[in-house]
Amino acid sequence: MLELRDIRAAYGKIEVLHGLDLTVAAGEIITVIGANGAGKSTLLKAISGLVKLSGGSIALDGERLDTLSVEQVVSRRLIQVPEGRQLFGPLTVAENLALGSYSRRRKGTPVTERLKKVFALFPRLEERKGQQAGTLSGGEQQMLAIGRALMAEPRILLLDEPSMGLAPIIVRDIFATLRTLNQEGLTMVLVEQDARIALSLAHRGLVMERGRIVLADTSQGLLANPEVQAIYFGQRAGGRAGAGSGGGR
Amino acid sequence: MTFDQFLQYILSGITSGSVYALTAVGFTLVFSATQIINFAQGQMVMLGGMMGITLHEAGLPLWACFIGAVAVVAIVSVGMEEIAIRPLLRKGVLTQIIATVGASFIFETAAMLIWGRDAKPLPPFTGETPIAIGRATVVPQTLWVVGLSIVVVVALTIFYRKSLYGTAIRGCAVNPEAARLQGISYRRVVVFTFALTGAVAAAAGVMIAPISFMGYANGTMLGLKGFAAATLGGLGNPVGAVLGGFLLGIVEALGVGVVSAGYKDAIAFVILLLVLFLRPAGLMGAKVVNRQ
Ligand SMILES: Nc1ncnc2c1ncn2[C@@H]1O[C@H](COP(=O)(O)OP(=O)(O)OP(=O)(O)O)[C@@H](O)[C@H]1O
Ligand SMILES: [Mg+2]
Repeated sequence: MLELRDIRAAYGKIEVLHGLDLTVAAGEIITVIGANGAGKSTLLKAISGLVKLSGGSIALDGERLDTLSVEQVVSRRLIQVPEGRQLFGPLTVAENLALGSYSRRRKGTPVTERLKKVFALFPRLEERKGQQAGTLSGGEQQMLAIGRALMAEPRILLLDEPSMGLAPIIVRDIFATLRTLNQEGLTMVLVEQDARIALSLAHRGLVMERGRIVLADTSQGLLANPEVQAIYFGQRAGGRAGAGSGGGR
Repeated sequence: MTFDQFLQYILSGITSGSVYALTAVGFTLVFSATQIINFAQGQMVMLGGMMGITLHEAGLPLWACFIGAVAVVAIVSVGMEEIAIRPLLRKGVLTQIIATVGASFIFETAAMLIWGRDAKPLPPFTGETPIAIGRATVVPQTLWVVGLSIVVVVALTIFYRKSLYGTAIRGCAVNPEAARLQGISYRRVVVFTFALTGAVAAAAGVMIAPISFMGYANGTMLGLKGFAAATLGGLGNPVGAVLGGFLLGIVEALGVGVVSAGYKDAIAFVILLLVLFLRPAGLMGAKVVNRQ
């Protein structure tokens, strides 16, 4: 469905992605794990078109995406839930959701139906639909960020660290919702630092280091991989916690 | 000052206040979408008035002059953005603001070359028989100015608050990147905003021309008054801009009554300076420029 070939991206003269390949099949959840600064967010920005490629190509069902503008990529229903949520803080919950539907305001299922679906997934949002987004709790903000993305009826959802800064119990809730959405057929690319929970949800995983993919396997494969355990489950891998501080930065 | 005189000054203040309010709204809408202070805003009002006068001299009915002037100035405003502002995107907002100052000189000079140095009037929309309000009187054009201004402000409020595109523009103002990720084109928002503010300015210019004549040099003072009103209301706050405009108009008119007509323009700037010293965020308070 989504195919990235040897993509390269740079900020100014500094190249951050050094040739990445990635294929996402319809209906799958693929997770990208990696330390701070590995280039995970840059990868998602490159897919959405926020960062232009300096090499390689991105295609969705055979159509080149990397030559399109952000708005055009969004209209192909490749929707990103960006790092740090990036809500419209002074706008209300309802207005944030309305803007989520902007790219598909005249197509697809009626907006009111979509809104009902989002409220069914996240009842907290319905209770707070008149509240300013910036005043929501962290968990509610993440729900809103995901809800806003769902309003665009995504074919592929790109999630950048949805667990960031949230209590484990909220993370569990949100990941349970993501699993439900996937079971309904939604394809996802999930970027995470919390490797354990990301791999528990995803079918396949990639490990990124300094702008390169260094490992790719099924989730089970990665969970069982001693190197991954050592580096990404540092604190919980008992005696090998020392190795964790080296790779985990 | 008798009460009747007082009433008369208030009415005249509300009239000029309407024009200041619309000019201030123009400043505010451009500012919240782009962080640019468009110092050519006053010249847009002037161009609107001059266009209206020219179209009327060409024999068009007044309503057609109004629509024509609004359309032409909307296009001029977008043209200014495309030619003078957009190419400077990478140079930063301050450079773009200076470009609007440059554009204001160009508009003024062009207007002088096209229309000459003399200010001209436009006939009132509906006659000149004064109407009594209490024991004060107003010309019917005053009611047009105030009424149309209110209509414009209400329409803008509904558009920005209730419509999806208005909401999209507000979203763009707080977080342009997130807005793009919803498929909202920032370029389109900017072009739309310049067209809209050009149109609002032109409407103000045509409305006021029958009362106070219009000449090539009138834009500067109108622009500065509008800017003072916008600052008074807290730049970037459209409700504040409208209130600031009316407040400025009224204080100015009363100042003329109490002090002297000679100080009329100075009053606006004394107020502007006082606001900048005492309440830099504007009278409406807390909402200072705050972007993530
Ligand atoms: N706007 C930018 N300008 C310049 N360099 C940038 C910019 N954004 C990111 N970088 C650099 O690119 C590299 C990759 O950053 P990126 O945000 O993609 O990492 P990440 O894997 O998402 O990290 P984290 O887990 O902390 O979110 C980093 O070295 C970062 O400093
Ligand atoms: Mg990141």
